[in-house]
Amino acid sequence: MRRFHAFWAIFTRFLIEIKRYPFNTLSGIVTLYLIFLLLFAGAKYAQGFGVNVFGEGLEALVVGFLVWTFALTAYSDLSWEIMREAQQGTLEQLYMCPFGFRFVSLAWVLSSFLVSLLFTGALLGLMMITTGKFLRLPLGTLIPLLFLTLAPIYGVGFLMAGLALVFKRIQAFFQILQFVFVPLLFLPAEEWWAKALPLSLGSRLIREVMTEGKSLPALPALDLLMLLGTASFYFGLGLCAFKACEKVAKDRGLLAHY
Amino acid sequence: MDAVAVENLTKVYPTRKGPVQALSGVSFRVAAGEIVGLLGANGAGKTTIIKIVCGLVRATSGRAEIFGVPSHRAEVARHVAALLEGSRNVYWRLSVEENLRFFAGLQGIPPRQAKKQAQELIQFFGLGEKRKVTANLLSQGMKQKLALACALIKGTPVLLLDEPTLGLDVEASHELRGFIRELASARRKTVLLSSHDMGVVEDTCARVIILSRGRVVADDRVPNLLALFRTRAYRVILRDGLPEGIATQLAARFSTFRWLSQERALHVELSPSQSFYELVDALRGANVEIEAVGRSEPDLEEVFLRLIREEKGT
Repeated sequence: MRRFHAFWAIFTRFLIEIKRYPFNTLSGIVTLYLIFLLLFAGAKYAQGFGVNVFGEGLEALVVGFLVWTFALTAYSDLSWEIMREAQQGTLEQLYMCPFGFRFVSLAWVLSSFLVSLLFTGALLGLMMITTGKFLRLPLGTLIPLLFLTLAPIYGVGFLMAGLALVFKRIQAFFQILQFVFVPLLFLPAEEWWAKALPLSLGSRLIREVMTEGKSLPALPALDLLMLLGTASFYFGLGLCAFKACEKVAKDRGLLAHY
Repeated sequence: MDAVAVENLTKVYPTRKGPVQALSGVSFRVAAGEIVGLLGANGAGKTTIIKIVCGLVRATSGRAEIFGVPSHRAEVARHVAALLEGSRNVYWRLSVEENLRFFAGLQGIPPRQAKKQAQELIQFFGLGEKRKVTANLLSQGMKQKLALACALIKGTPVLLLDEPTLGLDVEASHELRGFIRELASARRKTVLLSSHDMGVVEDTCARVIILSRGRVVADDRVPNLLALFRTRAYRVILRDGLPEGIATQLAARFSTFRWLSQERALHVELSPSQSFYELVDALRGANVEIEAVGRSEPDLEEVFLRLIREEKGT
């Protein structure tokens, strides 16, 4: 129960900060929507020439963009947060949580996921209205699938957070990496090597659920197992990398530095 | 059981320019309810000790424990809270109350209890009017009080305070010292406080550990440290100054005699065989009128400087 109280404190602070920076929150949604509009206009223009840019039409564009948006938040939230905490001097206080800093960061990740669901839901609504394609939203299937799809990205987020602890300024690397996610979303997910990479298989399964209305048991069991495997592998790898960076930071006394 | 136990602590920071030895075999213990000061110049190792004790820096060798829990384990945070770098420990965009409730929650305290404790601490620190104000709008003194309150709300028996009065004006510093003293007396906290401000340490701590270049130079109660350098030194102010001939006579008789003409004062350190009345008789014999007499007592600053100089061999 004490852990739940700690999680609740972190979640509440997350919400307070969103409320305190309404412009930042709103502008984030508006910017993403504008990017989507540009992509949508480009895809429509290309389709006019008989070119199917996204292979599987508008649904693929909407779902791909949705997963990419989630992925961006998933990997950036934690590392930005760590950089910010180090800068303002509160990171050391978080490290003094009796449940460990990994608990604090996991609670932060979960808070970020829950809030992302809300904001990305709003963005999805806007996208569906714009495209006229109304996708199916079986939340019971979608949320676990989304979480498994994003778990490798959270792993990358932990790796980046670890690097931020040691190197402090990693913005350049950070910004480049977010574009690496785009091709991953559109890899041929039926190939085994693509399934082993983050995002690829998960985004295909989400697309199937949202366009064809498939439920979790209707999805290929082997694919679900593969998704679970990649989720655990990349997430675990990210956590290990974070732990190694944390050790270096504590050895060098870098937790308070920025 | 000791509240804080530090044994043979060594810390070497790896840097690009080579290893930097921050601590060399530091050992000390703090009993429950004690307020102990860590005194040292910049770079003496005070902050490194505090951060190792609360698990934020890994020691190269040796051990640090809080109530028997090794400091590198996360559970140590159940027993210890720290105020590090003063007011940088609070969320500037959260209000006073929000900060307090957040840190209580982080410790696993239920929201209702956290709210109650926050109210108590707001009262205790006189922050009632600023309850809903965000931390960035508070004065430096209030931020510092809030940071201390955030450390206190965790309810740990041990508090580590690193430079708690840094950047405060005289009045705010004085007020905060009062709060720190009260922590041990009324709230029965064990406090390990680091500072390079002698006044803060002398005013709040019963025992002082003096550090120099990562080593413990002295570890004793303040009166004992003062007694180490207590001398029979007197300062005598004369109404009309001192004729030159008399000064020469006195200098011959008292080897430590010094005449400070601008202050119309003489300074002398008597040997165990000499009596203060010998000096008074000598002055009276020369018809020199005494205006005031004072005894020079060493203060903590003097003790600190002499110990450090001795350690450095200068």
